[in-house]
Amino acid sequence: MPSLVHTMDASPQVFAAEKRNAKVKPSLIMVDNALGAQDAVIQVIDRFTTDASNGAAAALQTIARLSINVAMMACVSIRDELKDVKCLGQMELTIVTLDINCIVSVGWDHE
Amino acid sequence: MIELKPTAQATVSPGVPKLLQENYFVKFTDMWPAELSYVSGKFFKIEKTNQVPYDLSYRLPTNDYRDVDLSNAGGGENIYPENTGTLYEVALGFKPGNYMVHFFIPAGEAVSRLEQASMAPNVASATLRYLGARKPEDSPYDDKRIFMYFVKDIEPLILRVFVDTGIDFEKCVLGLLVNKCRLTQIPTPNAEQTRLAKTLRYYSELRW
Repeated sequence: MPSLVHTMDASPQVFAAEKRNAKVKPSLIMVDNALGAQDAVIQVIDRFTTDASNGAAAALQTIARLSINVAMMACVSIRDELKDVKCLGQMELTIVTLDINCIVSVGWDHE
Repeated sequence: MIELKPTAQATVSPGVPKLLQENYFVKFTDMWPAELSYVSGKFFKIEKTNQVPYDLSYRLPTNDYRDVDLSNAGGGENIYPENTGTLYEVALGFKPGNYMVHFFIPAGEAVSRLEQASMAPNVASATLRYLGARKPEDSPYDDKRIFMYFVKDIEPLILRVFVDTGIDFEKCVLGLLVNKCRLTQIPTPNAEQTRLAKTLRYYSELRW
């Protein structure tokens, strides 16, 4: 299971690039906002381009798959709640207000 | 030329390989057309095999479909052999998801339909989209149960990959295992060879 740590001083932060023959399945998200300057609103974003279908041309899609609100001076870890969350394409995390002291760790599998 | 192998009701030991193996025999029925004279009604021994895995994947919106041509025609996926002495046995399995696949050969003619005139697969219909559809659980990616047999210049087989409602988008992953079989003709097989041979029927024999 790969994992990666990013500080949220940029948004979005890319955690997992798309794998063409698999979905990205986050297995762990830990948001360390203990030293954060404000509450952190984090979203998991699924970014991919559809293939042409009978009814539509190929098009870029960005879809929010999960949203977490982590209070200032808090540290949150979620694992079980992620079992139904999957990204078809690239998995990114966004934050509403950039904060170098908000640290996010994400682990994922491919399915 | 298309088979769905159901789960086994009993097991045998030693196990029987799923794929055609070297020194196996295959027989093409007389229903294969004259244009495919290099196999029609003929009997072959498999001299050698080589298994080639390949994945196809499509990200499609809900309630929409894409026709996937497995032939070597322009825009096709090039899964057909180029030599008359080669048979491709292609096992097909699906990764999980909210989608289904209909088979057409040639284009527009469903492989799976019932005898009543209106009972043909139709993805535009809320009910007929499930008629003849193969779903991921029917042939899992790691336990492929759909088998297709291709020779050079057989008509294009079309897979209509349809994403069912109840989801925004789906990534449909079709896993292929192409078992390349090099054929050597046996002009006059003996009774034992004939008994052991796998019979390959032309697709028109699946519809009556």
